[in-house]
Amino acid sequence: MAVLSPPKPSSDEGRIPRRVAFSQKRGKWDVKLSPYLYISPFFILFAITGLFPLLYTGYVSLFEWGLLKGKGDFVGLDNFTEVLNQPHFWKALRNTFSIFLLSAVPQVVMAITLAAILSANLRAKTFWRMGVLLPYVVAPVAVGLIFGKLFADESGLINAILTNIGIDPVRWHVDVLPSHFAIATMVNFRWTGYNTLIFLAAMQAIPRELYEAAIIDGAGRLRQFFSITIPQLRPTLIFIIITSTIGGLQIFDEPRMFNTTGDGGSSRQWMTLTMYLFDLGWGPQKSFGRASAVALLLFVIIVVIGMINFLVTTKIATSGPAKAKKPKSRNSTNRRTR
Amino acid sequence: MSSIPVIAQTAGKGAARSAARRRKIKLGGPDRRPGWVTYAILSVVLLISIYPLYYVIQLASSTNLAIVRNPIPALLPEGNLFTNFGRVFDSNIPLMKGFVNSVVVAVVQSFTVVIFSTLAGYSFAKLRFRGRGPLLVFVIATMAIPTQLGVVPLFIVMSEIGWSGKLIAVIVPGMVTAFGVFWMTQYLEGALPYELIEAARVDGASMIRTFWHVAMPAARPAAAMLALFTFIGSWTAFFWPFIILGSKNPTLPMVMQLLNSTYFTDFSLVMAGVLLSTLPLIAVFAFAGRQLVAGIMAGAVKG
Amino acid sequence: MTSNIRTRRMAAVVAGASIFALTLSACSSSEGGNGTKESKDASGNVTLTVATFNQFGYTPELLKEYEAANPGIKVEQTVAAQSGDARTNLTTRLAAGGDGLADIEAIEVDWMPELSEIADSFEDLAGPDVEGRYLAWKEAQGTADGKLIGLGTDIGPEAICYRADLFEAAGLPSDRAAVAELLGGADATWEDYFAAGHTFVENSDAAWFDSSVAIMQAQIGQLEAAYEDPATGEPTDLAENTVVKGMYDTILTESADLSASLKMWEKDWEAGFQNNAFATMPCPPWMTASIAGNSEGVTGWDVADVFPGGGGNWGGAFLTVPSSGKNTEEAIKLATWLTAPEQQAKAFAEAGTFPSQIEAQELAEVKDATNEFFNNAPVGQIFAARANQISDVPPFKGVQYFNIQTIVMDALNRVDIDGADPAASWDEALSNFGSLGF
Repeated sequence: MAVLSPPKPSSDEGRIPRRVAFSQKRGKWDVKLSPYLYISPFFILFAITGLFPLLYTGYVSLFEWGLLKGKGDFVGLDNFTEVLNQPHFWKALRNTFSIFLLSAVPQVVMAITLAAILSANLRAKTFWRMGVLLPYVVAPVAVGLIFGKLFADESGLINAILTNIGIDPVRWHVDVLPSHFAIATMVNFRWTGYNTLIFLAAMQAIPRELYEAAIIDGAGRLRQFFSITIPQLRPTLIFIIITSTIGGLQIFDEPRMFNTTGDGGSSRQWMTLTMYLFDLGWGPQKSFGRASAVALLLFVIIVVIGMINFLVTTKIATSGPAKAKKPKSRNSTNRRTR
Repeated sequence: MSSIPVIAQTAGKGAARSAARRRKIKLGGPDRRPGWVTYAILSVVLLISIYPLYYVIQLASSTNLAIVRNPIPALLPEGNLFTNFGRVFDSNIPLMKGFVNSVVVAVVQSFTVVIFSTLAGYSFAKLRFRGRGPLLVFVIATMAIPTQLGVVPLFIVMSEIGWSGKLIAVIVPGMVTAFGVFWMTQYLEGALPYELIEAARVDGASMIRTFWHVAMPAARPAAAMLALFTFIGSWTAFFWPFIILGSKNPTLPMVMQLLNSTYFTDFSLVMAGVLLSTLPLIAVFAFAGRQLVAGIMAGAVKG
Repeated sequence: MTSNIRTRRMAAVVAGASIFALTLSACSSSEGGNGTKESKDASGNVTLTVATFNQFGYTPELLKEYEAANPGIKVEQTVAAQSGDARTNLTTRLAAGGDGLADIEAIEVDWMPELSEIADSFEDLAGPDVEGRYLAWKEAQGTADGKLIGLGTDIGPEAICYRADLFEAAGLPSDRAAVAELLGGADATWEDYFAAGHTFVENSDAAWFDSSVAIMQAQIGQLEAAYEDPATGEPTDLAENTVVKGMYDTILTESADLSASLKMWEKDWEAGFQNNAFATMPCPPWMTASIAGNSEGVTGWDVADVFPGGGGNWGGAFLTVPSSGKNTEEAIKLATWLTAPEQQAKAFAEAGTFPSQIEAQELAEVKDATNEFFNNAPVGQIFAARANQISDVPPFKGVQYFNIQTIVMDALNRVDIDGADPAASWDEALSNFGSLGF
């Protein structure tokens, strides 16, 4: 060290006490301010790109505000009443929920089942785990293009196979439920493996003693699964439901890519709320006011559902099975046990 | 080095478990080696998760004529893959620009998310300051806020400051995420002993020096995973780039959408583009898929 | 522990890559981020960007030709997937003050009403070079606020494209002139067209036309003012628009027997070309490229010099120069050059986009042009003749034209493609119209 440090001027001697004092002072400020400094990037960025836009959405929604024309007259809640009177809004709401349910419910069932299978003492564990996760790296836009073609009504692989085995082709791009099913399939394709791994981790955290006791009591594997595994997974389940609600209700990429025009079908059979928001703001109507109104309505829907989920979670955490843990604490518990 | 990578932890736990199993349970239950039925089911699942990608290869190596004439593609890829790649490059679609843009956005965001999240995570996990608890709760609560719904004002503001159409408009809002902060806080809480920090402080290291030389190395395994998730998230993002960038300066998902032209869609071309856009992530997956699996299993990650 | 090393190595890779990318982004934000702002490089070269959609027929060779003749200029073309995307892109960029716009932006005629409201955002392109070179109605379409904001590229005079082989198999005449006669000749009506269709479908597995929307589009294009009052620009109440409702009813009644019920531009529609799904199409010149592209390996397409209900124009584009560009002067020069007769002729040869200028139409390479795919039909002559039938006053399209058109076309698609009840679908259209909030 001594060799590497630059030679100090001899006059420095006299200043040493002052420097110490200064560095102490600086050190104190360092200790006091650093924590805030370190967390500030998140809070500043969130304030600018997250919080402010959301608040400003409320402001914009009160004006006649066009993409091209800019801010216009104050119209109060007119944008909201107009949007609520548009049949497309209700259709989009219906579609969003339908697609969400069609993806969330089967996805959770499939993910738990798969996780149960994967939690067995498999050979080449990592291989199978990577295998189910692979679709996660495919962009939703790509998934939309691929499945849009697979589900093409007359020139698609799936209908061709159905015809070959003697089943009537399904009008995926025409009928409401089949189109929702096709879009939900895209979501399931991309996310099932991901959620499987979360469930798998949670399953592995279930104390072995529970199973051992059950085996001694003579419970079969199915019985074990339903009486031990499923109840123990409940917090994880709710966590996954919350996160997929937030994501699922904002779905845009997949339905947008489901056909070439991206209009959500001729009677907007599969237009979701986010597509509707985009269409209002940047499509032919170019009304930022109405788009903001839809954004706020969707925001409220998501927050309300989030709160219901939260209430259910806490209720389960307090009155549910004694061993159940909140998802948040699950992580730390896991880590401690590892 | 005090930090034990999550993977090692997982492996360690698994190893400990199987040892326990060998000791205690020999009656079957979930711990015996499963039979061929399990493997058969898993193989079918694997097939389903791989087939759509294989379908892309089937179509990308075919010709538009063959695709249009027969909805069932040939089982084995045909020989036109590289011809079609060449046609994608020769087309008017700015594929290379999209590629560079996607790389820039994904790499810069991964980098900044890791740095800022580790800083904040270190602060929340290991430093004492007023308001720490409530602020952390706030961070976690923001994860439940659908910020995507703020697009209208975000668009207005970006246009106002002249960032519309520029990459920076996509990069900045994703420079740090609540998830990242939460993730690093969680990890550092367990992986970084106070003694190390104190030792560094006693040696006279400044706060930032302590962070850099003690917290950063300890955070590495989790940081690498966070970088991976951020990278994948940025690479596949569509909604906001689509709104703010415009077709002149696209990212790869936008390129894919551009390829899906209406007046005459050549599906072998579209799928060649899809394949080219997806290959980089498949390469990442091949290289770091293990980490991804471990990362998801280490914490309830949702991109 | 090996995994520890692996993660560490990966972290190093990620960190290294980040630095690389940061450098990259620093470069790209100064250069790629906004091409218009810093498009002059050190040597004084100017890069001009041209944004088009679909097929404009501007080949790299054509652009090289301009570069060669104008040293120091580089021309780059970007192509949007579909006109809808290009439209969203253009208006979005305009709203953002022009950031990210190309130096030359192509637009479609239907966007004009909306853009004329913000004519300030575009350069006036009038000048001695372009004066009087366009068909009168085309020039009128490109003018807003007394300013020529769009230089016409092509026009869309409609003819009927048909499958001669399917006609023959169904016992109908298949020769161009005879088909024109069959469909009513010089004063062909839509009744004639539908009547011929019924004869055809009785003797063939194929449908008569691809979709009801294509027919509706053609008929709407023949109205002087479809959805709005030309005097005030106010939308006509759709519920009282008996003309449009009448067309809607007739077309859907006919579609039941005659339509292949394929939604235009979708995958199944494209596949329809290969499956002999339909025998005729209303066919503006730019559509020929699309038909040929989708019909690879299919023979038998031809073009007849006839169109029901008189002349009709579908589509056609303009080049505009947004004022936000940094090299507007050079951009105007390039736009003028690209729309000059010689270049229009080349684009026509490349993509079938029919010239919007009399002089270009009279060039030998246009006038005598034949299209090999369409059985060597003299497309130059046919479309010139069809163009002559178009009225000098372009149909009136107000600001809401596009919105209302979308609603009506959706209503047709619901019935034709999805199989909904025509009356219910019309009611839905009315309710959608109501929600536009006039």
